[in-house]
Parts: sequence; structure tokens; C-alpha cells
Amino acid sequence: MFEEASEVLENMLKWSFPLSLVLFLVLVCPLRAEAAHEFSVYRMQQYDLQGQTYGSRNAILNTEARSVEAEVLSRRCVMMRLADFSFEKYQKALRQSAGAVVIILPQNMSTMPQDIVQQFMELEPELLATETIVPVYFALEDEELLSIYTQTQISSSSQGSSSAAEVLLHTATANGFQMVTSGAQSKAVSDWAITSLEGRLTGAGEDLPTIVLVAHYDSFGVAPWLSYGADSNGSGVAVLLELARLFSRLYSYKRTHAGYNLLFFLSGGGKFNYQGTKRWLEDNLDHTDSSLLQDNVAFVLCLDTLGNSDNLHLHVSKPPKEGSPQHTLLKELETVAAHQHPELKFSMVHKKINLADDTLAWEHERFGIRRLPAFTLSRLESHRSPERHSIMDMRSVSGEATAGPHVDLTKLTRNTKVIAETLARVIYNLTEKGATGDLEIFTEQMQVQEDQLVSLVDWLTAQPRAAQLLDKDSSIVNTLEYYMNRYLKDVKRHLVRADKRDPEFVFYDQLKQTMNAYRVKPAIFDLLLAGCIAAYLGVLYLAVLNFGFLYGFLRRVTAPRVKQH
Amino acid sequence: MTLFHFGNCFSLAYFPYFITYKCSGLSEYNAFWRCVQAGATYLFVQLCKMMFLATFFPTWEGGAGVYDFVGEFMKATVDMADLLGLHLVMSKNAGKGEYKIMVAAMGWATAELIMSRCIPLWVGARGIEFDWKYIQMSFDSNISLVHYIAMAAVVWMFTRYDLPKSFRLPVTVLLGLCVYKGFLMELFVHVFLLGSWTALLVKALLTGAISLCSLFLFVTLVHSN
Repeated sequence: MFEEASEVLENMLKWSFPLSLVLFLVLVCPLRAEAAHEFSVYRMQQYDLQGQTYGSRNAILNTEARSVEAEVLSRRCVMMRLADFSFEKYQKALRQSAGAVVIILPQNMSTMPQDIVQQFMELEPELLATETIVPVYFALEDEELLSIYTQTQISSSSQGSSSAAEVLLHTATANGFQMVTSGAQSKAVSDWAITSLEGRLTGAGEDLPTIVLVAHYDSFGVAPWLSYGADSNGSGVAVLLELARLFSRLYSYKRTHAGYNLLFFLSGGGKFNYQGTKRWLEDNLDHTDSSLLQDNVAFVLCLDTLGNSDNLHLHVSKPPKEGSPQHTLLKELETVAAHQHPELKFSMVHKKINLADDTLAWEHERFGIRRLPAFTLSRLESHRSPERHSIMDMRSVSGEATAGPHVDLTKLTRNTKVIAETLARVIYNLTEKGATGDLEIFTEQMQVQEDQLVSLVDWLTAQPRAAQLLDKDSSIVNTLEYYMNRYLKDVKRHLVRADKRDPEFVFYDQLKQTMNAYRVKPAIFDLLLAGCIAAYLGVLYLAVLNFGFLYGFLRRVTAPRVKQH
Repeated sequence: MTLFHFGNCFSLAYFPYFITYKCSGLSEYNAFWRCVQAGATYLFVQLCKMMFLATFFPTWEGGAGVYDFVGEFMKATVDMADLLGLHLVMSKNAGKGEYKIMVAAMGWATAELIMSRCIPLWVGARGIEFDWKYIQMSFDSNISLVHYIAMAAVVWMFTRYDLPKSFRLPVTVLLGLCVYKGFLMELFVHVFLLGSWTALLVKALLTGAISLCSLFLFVTLVHSN
């Protein structure tokens, strides 16, 4: 008896393993279990500027995911990868009144081909210009998100085709995903303060002319939490801080203490029509009696996007007259570029201020409107360059070939050196004193320190610096202030708050959210499941009813054996 | 998912119990209150087990992912109390062997179903996320019904004083298998890295084998006299 029982047991075990392996392959593989995935998403910009509204006006999302290939997109969350992204697809989603759009960006932008990056950069302003009520989110790709995307794509593409049986089978095996964001609806942030920082080096003497150096420190991109702004304008800030360090050393010795005041200004809200600069000028020119800006400004030099390329452009709104300090600077720049760095192509770009435009082109136009002689130094030829408003503008890992814009530190160092040499030649009036073009001042102990610049750029690009994210207590502003305090005197903060009644700029919150992807099945699947369960229960019912057969069979099998005993 | 999905899982979990109760003729014996008593015994035994485990097996604080073989084995040994409990239920009821076995097993399994699966199903299957594990849990409850019937039968055979000598060994082996089935399953899953569906299948096959063997022994024993 025992032998027989053990034999049955053994047979069962022997059979169960290969059988279970086959069933495992059949059952488990297509249904690869995925738990709810949670990931961070970054919302598209939403802001009002001078009464105009921009970006996506909505933050709430609770719909099922589809890829853009699906026929019906209305009230669905449309998922796109950067590689497949195009403006037509985006427009198609908006036209069909999609519930939301989620654009998946690669973790490492440098893996993307050049043309895709370029195309996306050019699209970014268009995405923002077309105001939409559809919430648009950006997510960084990871394995789970990719798998969700692939499954969504498979289920989306198979819709509307094939027979009923295929559709039924498909509903059982494929997964749908319900995308849900956790946050509330976006609302305007009241009383937001944009901080600007000012510091100075006072020259030796009375009633001296003043040179103003300006760079805006905020960054801008289609999603605030993804805008690192390495080149625009992390490079400008790095150059300005390095110049502050170099000239503070010169100004601390009596023999090199020059007859110019240097005023350094790090402006906030630069990407929002230079709000920080505007308020600073108003404070200095309209309200106070004595200010360096009110009397005898030699020129204002704005630094914008200097981290790459062998071009330097001096943007002016009217060509400088001969004999003016601006003209001197222009000539000195040409001399330094030609003599010390022949590979550098320098040119002047003239563009009149267009007051009919919504936004000003360059920062110097803010000063130009107030009749201060000003110009912008940049590697870009046009203010419309997409690099200035892109989330692709990131600090790339050195030594790695990148597609998008990035900061080349040797070139940044060279540009810094050119600007420093030029300024020194203007301040100490070296050309009139007969110095040759290849005289280098910033060498040896005074040289531009590349590692200093590296650490500055690294620090600036370590976190997003969008204006919406930097309030007056943020670590970036505090550290900038600390850094300026180290080298400059009279470091002051200037806060801009939008007017309550007629705000010039309004920011909105809910820019970073957690999104959950829940696996769901369509209603038809529940029906199908109910049918299967009913069938199973029916079989079970029959089995229990006919249990007597098994019992009788076992009895017949055992009975003769027992008699033999 | 939806309430409908919960309904699906619920019916998959509960209807087999109902069918078994109706078709095995228990309803004709007015055995409902006896089943409830058996369920109450189940609760009492589980409470005792919990107290015992909490007292003598404090949570093991080993590294994550390390399988505490001895600890798990000792914990499984505590499940011997289930056998005692089943014996207690059966010894209180007078009647034929099948009747005693069915009452004890039905009460026992139903109590387990209500206590350990009702709330997870209610909370989980109605949630927004779809997961096969609730369907698996419902199948698992079907398997555990068969498991408890077989276990009750083996306990009944073991406690008979007229059990032939040749039966002693297989019945004891089956008893051991019943008690350590959960432990064996865990071990399988751990060693062979089984997926959830495969684990369920292996469990079903193992339970089927045990119950077939015990049915075999039961039939031989009942009809040998």
C-alpha cells in the first residue's frame, strides 16, 4: 500500500516539474508582473508675462495612457519619447483634446543624436507660445517607465485592427496604465520675490567714471525643474565672478588701484524680460539721490552665454561714437582678440531696440532704454538662438562628445581672459600709454584660474536655476551673495515683487510632481474574467457532484488487494 | 480596478466552499452550527499559536534576502497545533468518519478564509491598480479547502485505535507533509525562484497529491473492515 502511494507521489512530482515549466512559460512570460510605478514628472512652464499667458494652464492628470499612434486620443494621457517627438504629433494630441501629454526624456541627453536635440531646442519656444489647457509633463526615462511606454505603444497600435477574438485575447494579456498625479491644481504664486545682487569695487579718487558688469543668473527651459542653463547663463555668471576675483586683487594694491569704479550686478528674472535689471534701474535712477548709475557711467557690459565656440559678438543697439569709452572698449576687444587669440573671431552686431516686441532681445537694451551706454558680449549671433531658452543647455561630463549645447571650459577660460585683458586695458588706459597688443597682464599669479571656473560652473549647474525655483532664501542666492561678499564691497540685495493689481509677471506652482502609473484592465476584461470564473465554478460543481465516481473507482482499485492480505 | 473585479475574486474564493457545503450533504445534517464551532476552535488555536510564536520566536533580524532555514522550520513546527485543534473538533462531534472530517475541515477552512482573505480582497481588489495576485489568492483559498479536508482525514485516521500496523507509517508521513507543506512551498519558491503562478501550480499539485494519497488510504481503511 505504502509503495503504491509513494509511487503515485513520485510520478506526480516527476511530471509536475516539466509541466510546470511549460505552464510557467505560457502563463508568466506575457504577463510579466509590474507593480505600480512611481516617478517624478516636471511640468511645463506656466507663467504670465506682461498680461500674456504662456505654457500649460493645468496640472491635474488622471487618465489612461496611450501612445501617439492610437487613433483616439481624447481624454487620454499621450506618451511620447523625445526620439519620436515632433510638433505635428504634439499638435495632433492637442487637437484631439488629449487629457495630458507626457514627454519622456533620456537620462543622459548626450546619447541623443544631434538633429533631434537641435529640433527639440527649436520647438521649445513654440511649445510655450501656444498656450494650452492640457497638462504637459516631462519625465526622465528609466527602465520601468520605458517598459510602461513600450506596453502602451503595443496596446495602442493594436487597437482598431484585427478580429474580435484577437481583441479579447489582447485585453487579457496587455496592460493599460492609469496615470495619476498626486498634486493639486496649479495656482498663481502670490508675492514672489526675484532677487538680484549688487556689489562694487571703488576706484581711487573722486567723481570717477563707473563700469558696470552685468549677468543674469537664472535659467530657462520648457520645464523649470529641468532648466540647468549651463551656458545661458551659468557661463556669464562664472565669468562675472572670476572677473570680480581678479579685479578685487588689482584694486587691493595701491599701485594698481585704478581710476574707475567697478559695479557688479547679478540680475534675477533675466529670462522674464530682465525684471531684476528693470527694477534695479528704477531704484537707482528714479528713487535715490546718489548712485553710481546716476552720474558718469562709462559703459555697461552685459555677459550672456560665453561658454563655447570661437566666436564673440558684441551686441550694440547703436554703434559707439569715436572717442567714447564704449568705442575704446570695442577697439581694445578687437586688439586683444587679434593679437592674443588669433583663432577667436570677433565682430560687432548692431540691432536697434524694438519697443514693439513683447520682450527685449538682450539685457543691454534695458540700459539702452534708460540712456545708459550699454552692450552685450555673447558667443551667439542672434538673441533668437534656441540655446538661450532650452532644457538641453546642460553641463556635459567632460571628455564626452555631446550633441547639444554645453560648456567648453578651455574656451570659457579663454573668453574670460579676453574680457579681463580688455577691461584692464581700458581701465589702465594701456594703449595710450603705448602698450603693444600682445601685452598680457593676467599671467602667473594673476592668471584666470580654470579650476575656479570649473567649480563655479559645476556648482551652478548642479541644480535647476529657473526663476520660479529661486526665492530669496534659496541656497544659490545665498551662496552667490557669500561669494560676492568675499571679493566685493557693499553687496546688496534688490528684490522685485510683481505689482498686486497689474502684475508684470505671475508664476505658478505645482511644477514638480510625483506621477503614479497604475496597471489597469479594460471593463471587457472583467466580463471575460467573470465568464472564465463561472466556467471554472461550473466544472468544480460537476466535479464535486461526481465525486462518488472517484471514490468508487478507488474502492474498486483497492478492494482486491485488501482481500489478498 | 472596480467593484466588479472584487466580485469576481470574491465569487472565485467563496463559491467552491458553498458548493462543497451544499453537495457534500452537510446541509442535510444541520451541520451549520457545528461548522461555526469548528471555526471558533480555529480562532482559539490561531490565537494560541500567535502567543506562542510571539513569546518564543521574536522577529529574526538577519540580513534581508537571507533565508532563515532553521527558524522557518521551527515556526512550521508550531503548526502542529492545527492538528490538535482539528482532533479536538472531531472528538467533540459524534457521527460517521466522513461527517466528522467534513464538518471539521469546512469550519476550519471557512474561518481561515474569512479571517485572512476577506480584508485583503476588499482593500486590494477594489484598488485602482490591477494585479493578478488577488485572483491567485482566490485560487489559493480553493486549494486550502482541499488541503484542510485531506488534513482532517489524515488526523482522523491517525487517531483511530484500530488503525492497522501497515498504515501507521504512510499516515504519519502524510501528517508531516500536511504540517510542513507551507514550509516546503516556501523552500521551493526560495530555491527554484518560482514565479507566483508557478508557485500556485506547484502548490495545487502538491496538495492534490497529498489529498489523493489520503483519500486512497481513507478508502482502503474504511472498506477493509
